[in-house]
Amino acid sequence: MEFEESGIGEECGVFGCVAAGEWPTQLEVAQILTLGLVALQHRGQESAGIVTSNGTNPPTYTTLKGMGLVNTAFKPDDLLKLRNGNLGIGHTRYSTTGISELQNCQPFVVDTLHGKIAVAHNGELINASALRKKVMRHGVGLSTCSDSELITQLLALTPPMEELDTPDWVARIKNLMMETPTSYSLLVMYKDVIYAVRDPYGNRPLCIGCLVPISKLHSSGAGEGDTEGWVVSSESCSFQSIGAKYYREVQPGEIVQISKHGVKSLSIVPRPEGDNPAFCIFEYVYFARPDSIFEGQMVYTVRQRCGQQLAIEAPTDADVVSTVPESATPAALGYAQVSGLPYVEVLCKNRYVGRTFIQPNTRLRQLGVAKKFGALTDNFAGKRVVLVDDSIVRGNTISPIIKLLKEAGATEVHIRVASPPIRYPCYMGINIPTKEELIANKPEFEDLAGYIGATSVCYLSVEGLVSAVRGVTESQEKDERISSKTKTSRLGHCTACLTGKYPVELEW
Amino acid sequence: MSSPKKTTEPHVVKEEVLASGKWVKLEKTTYVDPSGSTRIWETAKRTTRVAGTAADGVGIIALLKRTLHKDCVVMVKQFRPPMGCYTLEFPAGLIDENESAEAAALRELKEETGYKGEVVGITPVTCLDPGLSNCTTQIVIVHINGDDIENINPTQQLGKYKFVEVILLPLDEFQQKIDELLQKEKIVVDTKVYVYAMGMSQAFFKPRELPVLKQ
Repeated sequence: MEFEESGIGEECGVFGCVAAGEWPTQLEVAQILTLGLVALQHRGQESAGIVTSNGTNPPTYTTLKGMGLVNTAFKPDDLLKLRNGNLGIGHTRYSTTGISELQNCQPFVVDTLHGKIAVAHNGELINASALRKKVMRHGVGLSTCSDSELITQLLALTPPMEELDTPDWVARIKNLMMETPTSYSLLVMYKDVIYAVRDPYGNRPLCIGCLVPISKLHSSGAGEGDTEGWVVSSESCSFQSIGAKYYREVQPGEIVQISKHGVKSLSIVPRPEGDNPAFCIFEYVYFARPDSIFEGQMVYTVRQRCGQQLAIEAPTDADVVSTVPESATPAALGYAQVSGLPYVEVLCKNRYVGRTFIQPNTRLRQLGVAKKFGALTDNFAGKRVVLVDDSIVRGNTISPIIKLLKEAGATEVHIRVASPPIRYPCYMGINIPTKEELIANKPEFEDLAGYIGATSVCYLSVEGLVSAVRGVTESQEKDERISSKTKTSRLGHCTACLTGKYPVELEW
Repeated sequence: MSSPKKTTEPHVVKEEVLASGKWVKLEKTTYVDPSGSTRIWETAKRTTRVAGTAADGVGIIALLKRTLHKDCVVMVKQFRPPMGCYTLEFPAGLIDENESAEAAALRELKEETGYKGEVVGITPVTCLDPGLSNCTTQIVIVHINGDDIENINPTQQLGKYKFVEVILLPLDEFQQKIDELLQKEKIVVDTKVYVYAMGMSQAFFKPRELPVLKQ
């Protein structure tokens, strides 16, 4: 809940589409991009942008950018201008501090030696400041403070072995990957192809889908000849809404070429010896939509397993289990399953109050008006409640909720948090509050229950979270009968904000 | 042009068959013109017109609608002996005995293109080439649900001597695509098709502009 309240955000979603078969295509590429971005709206609401290409030589790129939600950012008349697209990429941007300006919105389009490229980026370069200086030393001027512009400029630099008139995009992208280890999921559009790139640590997600006729989407009858196009997205939740079948993930370090002829893996850039992949564990905990699939598993299932694990680690003597709607619900259900306590709903949420809509000022909040939640009193009055939430970061959000439940008749309120406490900053794209603001770093943490007014508080342990994500418990880990392949798949997750162990050494 | 003070209602007086083939006949039509003079006209007619049917045949403007695809007009390309070359036309056919115009349209569409459609509108009986013949047609507007599994890879059901190629052209660039086709191939476009395409261009792109005001 607190992630949502405090605006800790995933910075951005990316989406791309290439029409298969003959061009000019009869597919409505601009519409597909728009629908794809709408499905990724939870990854960014500040602005949205689309660039389509007609794929000719030289190509004509058409850009459409707008502030706000996709529905408001793109007017139907504007979308008509993108009619001639045979391929395109799109981006939704998360709210960052400072003024949001249209020119900072992605995708960026720049002219390179070999023609225009368009770039959409999700993530944050951990060595951005050092890299900026390096790029500017090369004589390149930068006009924004965004990483994404930096990436675009790095791609425009000519790699040493490249021939005069033949661009070698694999070399250029590999150059970029050598300059910066993490974190980025990139879509680079050039002429008539899209390159999908994931950093060698796989910190941000990226997956590919195959567009098939709507009536063949759910049947097993769709063959190779039915492919109408290819899509690539930060999350697979976008595929259903556009009639695409999940195809596969882009592997960490992989450069994939997506064209009208199909999907081709061009290269996989390895990590330095011994380094594990570092997929952001918070994609599972909070950011991704529950119906998205990562590493072959559904996000909802992982959250449910977190709740189950939480019930094992922190059982409670209570009467009912409930959730803070909606993100904690899978975990709460998991907790109820293992604990055997009945699952009830105790809170009713007003989705029009909060970050995106009405912002009640402090006074109103203190007076207890313009509340985000109402109590479903009859469901729990006189009972001891276990309330599962997905996060406690500052402790500001959960306290009024506990007060609300107690005033409505809960005799005890036990808070169970389905993630470990956050103690360290993230440099890979999640804007976590400064170390001092994090409740886990404050002296109040010693008696957190007292501080927030709960009967008891327990967090999920880091080991518990990791085992829930990996789907392999500690005992299974030691079981020799289970293949090592099963144990080592899903091996690497970034837990830096929880443990302070960063996947790559930070340069300061 | 001077109009005489006394005007007569023009009408046909006599029709004599000059020659008759299996499908087409030639008649000498004697008629009275608006000035009262009796004149002759040479008229071509089909021998197949069914008594009781309004028109000789139907033409079909069929729109293939698929989710997330541009709406496409279904056209047919075939060799037409009278023209001595290929033509680009709407699917069409004669109305059989005991058949409504709508039923004929759906049947012809299925036979010539393989698509199963639904009638959404129909024009009144219209004349095709009134200076030459009495042939009439009704244009039937059809929508094809392209998401339906039956319409995904449709198979034509042509008779033994019919050779028809199906061409799909996006509606929002209809005139442009036809012009491109004309550049590439030796083909003559049917009047109804081209005029419809011009109307579509007007509607899509220049709704407030007066048509074709060239200096």
